[in-house]
Amino acid sequence: MANIFNSNFETLKVAMDVQMKRQELHAQNIANAETPGYKRKYVAFEEYLQESKMKLKLTTTNQRHLPTSPEIVTAKEVKMKNTSLTNDQNNVDIDMEVTEMVKDALRYQVLSRLMSANIDRYNTVIRNTR
Amino acid sequence: MQSEFNIMNISATGLSAQRFRIELISTNIANSETTRTEKGEPYRRKVPVFQELVRNIQGRRENSGVIVKSVYEDPSDFRIVYDPTHPDADENGYVKLPNVNIIREMVDMINAQRAYEANATAINTTKAMITSALQIGR
Repeated sequence: MANIFNSNFETLKVAMDVQMKRQELHAQNIANAETPGYKRKYVAFEEYLQESKMKLKLTTTNQRHLPTSPEIVTAKEVKMKNTSLTNDQNNVDIDMEVTEMVKDALRYQVLSRLMSANIDRYNTVIRNTR
Repeated sequence: MQSEFNIMNISATGLSAQRFRIELISTNIANSETTRTEKGEPYRRKVPVFQELVRNIQGRRENSGVIVKSVYEDPSDFRIVYDPTHPDADENGYVKLPNVNIIREMVDMINAQRAYEANATAINTTKAMITSALQIGR
């Protein structure tokens, strides 16, 4: 069955989930800013996307075309193991962490605004064809 | 599937860990001149040991913040002060005082306060994110 909604919904949903995962890791890093031996975690989303060789959907115009499996890109959690900031082997820089967190929250708000705009477009269509 | 509320719980564990740390720092400062404890020796400086908390939920590792693993008693030497009038002075007139350095405790306290604030900021940011998600379609 054809999906009456465009793929923006799915794309935005994945992007928002990734930002939420980022927020989780920022919270975890900040909570463990004073834990000896703790290494900061981050989401390797862009790296992971390149790793999966940009598996984007190809258009199929004929039934005999090979379908591309829609790859759901998920956030991959990575530890930054090679640095340490203090002499207890911890590498969480709390100022950097808070700054990144605020940036990611703003990105999330942009994404939710885009999601609203996407819904508004459907609203426009529904209202104007009455 | 990650829960938005789990993120707030992570920050909450951070808040309570830092609060506990400030509690210990207050105890250290309050006891900086205490020469008698249950163990029969002067008071020893107490330090919290934090550990990362990762729970296993249905085979999935979920970040769950931080816990206070134990309270460590600083084994370093006591301060020795010459005060023959002190009731706990030895036969040569020396008193063993706790190994608490007030300046160090103050610095630790500022650190703990900053870490506490960072966790509180994290909660506020998460809340702002959830609120903006609730505005979708309005």
